Amino acid sequence: MLLGASILTIVYLVGAAVHENYGAQWSGVQHQYREILREKAKDDRGRELLAKFRIELKQVSLPALGTVDRCVTCHNGIDDPRMTDVALPHRVHPEGILDIHPVDRFGCTVCHHGQGPATTFRDAKADDAYWDYPLLPPEMTEATCATCHDAEKLPSAQVPLLLTGMRLYQEKSCGSCHKLNGRGGALGPVLDSEGAKTRHQFTMSNLQPPHTIWRWQEAHFRDPGAVMAGSQMRNPTVTRQEALALTVYMLSLWKRDVPESYLAPDKIEQKYRSLHPAPLSGEQIYGQYCAACHGNGTYSRWDKTFKRFIPAIRGVSLISTATPEYLASNIQHGRPGTQMPAWDQHAGGLLPEEITAVIKYLRADAPAAEKLPALTLAGDSTRGLALFLRNCAGCHGMDGRGGIAPEIGNPVFQKAATDEFIVRTVRSGRQGTAMPAFQSPDAPALSDQDVADVLAYVRTFGQPKREKALAQNLAPASGGKP
Amino acid sequence: MATATQEFIRNLHELPHTVKDAWFRLGKAPESEREESQATFHNLFLHIHSVRVHVRTLSPTLTFGLGLMAAGTFLITVITGLLLMVYYKPSTDLAYQSIKDIHFTVYTGRFIRNIHRWAAQLMVLTVLLHMARVFFTGSYKKPREFNWLVGLGLLVMTLALSFTGYLLPWDQLAYWAITIGSNIANSPRELTDAIGVTRWMDPGGFQKRLLLGANYVGQDALIRFYVLHVFLLPLALVTLLGVHFWRIRKDGGLARPEDPMGGPAEWGGARRAVFEPIATKTYGLMALVKGKRPTVNRGPENTVMSWPHLFWAELAVFMVTVATTLVLSFYWDAPLKELANPAIPENPAKAPWYFLGIQELVSYSAFTGGLLIPVIVVVGLALIPFLDRKTGGEGTWFGTPGEGSVFRSSLLFAVLVTVGMLVFTVNFGWLRSWFPDIHQLWIIIFNPGSLLVLIFAAWSLIVLKRRDSVRLAAVSLFTCFVVGFTILTYFATVHRGPNWHFYWWPSQWPVH
Amino acid sequence: MSRLDPPRVSRRSFLSIASLGSFFAAVGTAAAGLFRLPNPAVLPGPVRRFKLGSPEQFASGSETAFADENLVLFRDDEGFYAISTTCTHLGCVVARSKQGFACPCHGSRFDDRGKVVGGPAPRPLPWLEVSRAADGQIVINADNEVPAGTRYRV
Repeated sequence: MLLGASILTIVYLVGAAVHENYGAQWSGVQHQYREILREKAKDDRGRELLAKFRIELKQVSLPALGTVDRCVTCHNGIDDPRMTDVALPHRVHPEGILDIHPVDRFGCTVCHHGQGPATTFRDAKADDAYWDYPLLPPEMTEATCATCHDAEKLPSAQVPLLLTGMRLYQEKSCGSCHKLNGRGGALGPVLDSEGAKTRHQFTMSNLQPPHTIWRWQEAHFRDPGAVMAGSQMRNPTVTRQEALALTVYMLSLWKRDVPESYLAPDKIEQKYRSLHPAPLSGEQIYGQYCAACHGNGTYSRWDKTFKRFIPAIRGVSLISTATPEYLASNIQHGRPGTQMPAWDQHAGGLLPEEITAVIKYLRADAPAAEKLPALTLAGDSTRGLALFLRNCAGCHGMDGRGGIAPEIGNPVFQKAATDEFIVRTVRSGRQGTAMPAFQSPDAPALSDQDVADVLAYVRTFGQPKREKALAQNLAPASGGKP
Repeated sequence: MATATQEFIRNLHELPHTVKDAWFRLGKAPESEREESQATFHNLFLHIHSVRVHVRTLSPTLTFGLGLMAAGTFLITVITGLLLMVYYKPSTDLAYQSIKDIHFTVYTGRFIRNIHRWAAQLMVLTVLLHMARVFFTGSYKKPREFNWLVGLGLLVMTLALSFTGYLLPWDQLAYWAITIGSNIANSPRELTDAIGVTRWMDPGGFQKRLLLGANYVGQDALIRFYVLHVFLLPLALVTLLGVHFWRIRKDGGLARPEDPMGGPAEWGGARRAVFEPIATKTYGLMALVKGKRPTVNRGPENTVMSWPHLFWAELAVFMVTVATTLVLSFYWDAPLKELANPAIPENPAKAPWYFLGIQELVSYSAFTGGLLIPVIVVVGLALIPFLDRKTGGEGTWFGTPGEGSVFRSSLLFAVLVTVGMLVFTVNFGWLRSWFPDIHQLWIIIFNPGSLLVLIFAAWSLIVLKRRDSVRLAAVSLFTCFVVGFTILTYFATVHRGPNWHFYWWPSQWPVH
Repeated sequence: MSRLDPPRVSRRSFLSIASLGSFFAAVGTAAAGLFRLPNPAVLPGPVRRFKLGSPEQFASGSETAFADENLVLFRDDEGFYAISTTCTHLGCVVARSKQGFACPCHGSRFDDRGKVVGGPAPRPLPWLEVSRAADGQIVINADNEVPAGTRYRV
């Protein structure tokens, strides 16, 4: 037994030694490279490089970046300009990037990701291994330029997908639901560190393998609901190429802690700018932060996902009756309880001057706001209740909670809307929407007193006691005092 | 008369011989029994063995060499551990990278690390099997009770060594396993919270802070675990191991079956040394060993020289252990997941396999499963040799009459009860599923773990009464424990997936 | 023969020699492998190779100081050479002086070629290995010293 066990031991020890020393992938690669060097040793420099080449593990250790990259163990020719006509991995790095980003100072993984400490290609790629940031596909490598550079200041030929992705993000109005740099809506997740996320932070169950981050992003852009069951994200309807560009942009969103000596000066300026953004124009704001839900604003619609009504905020009849203060109030505070978020500086991140600009934009095509006549009649809310139930509750909800019509019981609405505004809307309706005119010349449905009564009832929505009663699902006693 | 110069040159000449003679006092391979006994007795490393051993203790089917395998795996972990210490850095910033470097660049690094991990796993396994062997051969009985306790101490040390080593790679596996472990240390909180005394008395929090040096698993925990793993625990283990081996000798060697009365055993080539008195020789007393029969003018019966028989056997067992470890290490890498990330919990976060049984119990009640039951088990194991005082039947598997049948019936019983309990909880849930507002104290008292303990205890009391034997009751309880441990470990390994839900196979775990 | 010396015990068999031999061989193989471990396969630590620019940037007779890399690059008619500015006494950074180099810490003085001319320094300033990278740039390997007077010809 001793004999058998000892022999087995020797066999495996020797086997392990052979495997490590002679079976190593990198050793074979380096021997190949030495042959290439020999072929190219035609001049003094070539001969010198051949003489100095040693078969050994090579690494670039950069404590400043926290990386140890052993890619150069196999990629020996990465910075040798003569190596243009050889196969990978011996070939020189394309596009002269290494002239500006020498390997000795940057390593490789800061741009390409992958498992730097690895010594085999499969381990370096790490796309099905326990490594947080696998090797990026070559076409997506430009995403990491944003780590140190302001992408907009780079030559567009170097970062085409990244710039396209940034543009599409604005064009598709992604900011309506997602926050970036503190600006945006509140319905979707914050995207500032989207590029830093690892595989485990995504739901991969609806994705075919391989389960990489970029495949998830691409699939998600092409059909959000298929990737995330129950997703509230509207399909941005993008082509394959556009999905790729947006994916690259998402991968670039990583506030990576890189020493300042590595940052390009325009990056530092960009960081400053994000703290103190220059105000955008009203049209830009509308396009980036409103259009996803409100479309061009001239028509209202029913949102299937949220099962709510989205009002026409550039509709003529709204703009001509709503005061700028009314619009400002709704934009700043949103409509709590609905999918309209607050947009003021502490919530949605819009500067006061930007909100003013947006209001100006909303009102741009509208006729001047009319001065609404003052009300003369006092209203009885009890009578108003009956009228409301008959004429209004069907769309506006029993308690003004909206649904297929705006939520007139919403606290922000109650605070911002003047009585005149409500009366005028009831009387004249809203052009381009389903709100009828209850005092149109053709068929007057409500008298002035009726309107006053309805107004009185609608105002009870804003009262605290009413809120409590509603919360307890208590129906107001008919004929009782509120 | 030779001059001093000639003497000097002659001494230089004879250097090889004189050095060899100084080192090896015998100078040649032992040829007589006296020389063989000297080879054992005069050697620092070998003299902890007795000079003669009983033939029956060399039988593979008595011990299966398990104790030696355990010691062998320990030796392997010590050597490979020392080598790993050359490169490992116990800092949260550097630990993971240093393990990657060991795996990818260090000469023999990948292999050594694998050996270390596999030897550690085998050590836990062999220690547990060794304990079962000692129990079922009744080798804990008088005079070996203390050695049984020492062995229990060694078991706890082995598990502690494995647990402390688990954290050192600082990867996701390590971080979350120790998070769970430290929260199990915190489990008395469950009890003190339930009765509302945590503000004044918090042994759970105390234990956790002692272990971690903080309220979270961080640099302080890593340093403490490192010191425990590479220094304190190995030192304690080697000390206890020394006591363990010493006691084997002082208790009369390994427990073995009784020699048949009368003449020499034919079995195994036993010999009996015959000592004839000589006038010129006086005898010094080397040791007093308790035995049953006084033999005068006769050497101990049925013993053979340690050199070479015992040492062949030990060497063979050791090399088998080494070979097994090497084969495993060549093909299967020690696991290493991503860098520890407190923001992303592993799901499921599983303890090492030997703690998974406890983790299953902990999923019912942290305090009962994590603290109470393990303590009860250890205390129960410790009490066995003091409650079962009747000697007889040591050194044979299932030595006393009726053991075999009690073993089989307890096996069946424990399998049914454990599996039944698991099936019940998987299908119907437990107290909180039916009474959502039930006080935690009820759950601490009545949970599958505590019920299993009570049922097994009841079963062994029944055996005690019906078979009228403490040993048989002990056999039934131990068997139930082994079965319960095995089934719970298997269940938690294979059938528990993300969120600790039940799954038939890991392939069915939802892709998250 | 004393009663303690029973007849010779003989244990010569091929199997036992082979087993014992293979055991020692196994131990020896393991030891040989293990002793290799402490020798680092790749030296850790940050890169100490510096690319300084193409040779055309440095005219003959010029000297260029590189503060971050702690060296001065010289070029004369015979070629390039680089002298480290780390004082060999206790490691301070020497400054360029009229005669050569001067160390502000304990007053070591060196001449233009790094030879010690005064002060407590025990040996001359190291000359560092100069060569050219694959893309033609001058590259200094600060981990390698070369004998004083070595020139790198371009």
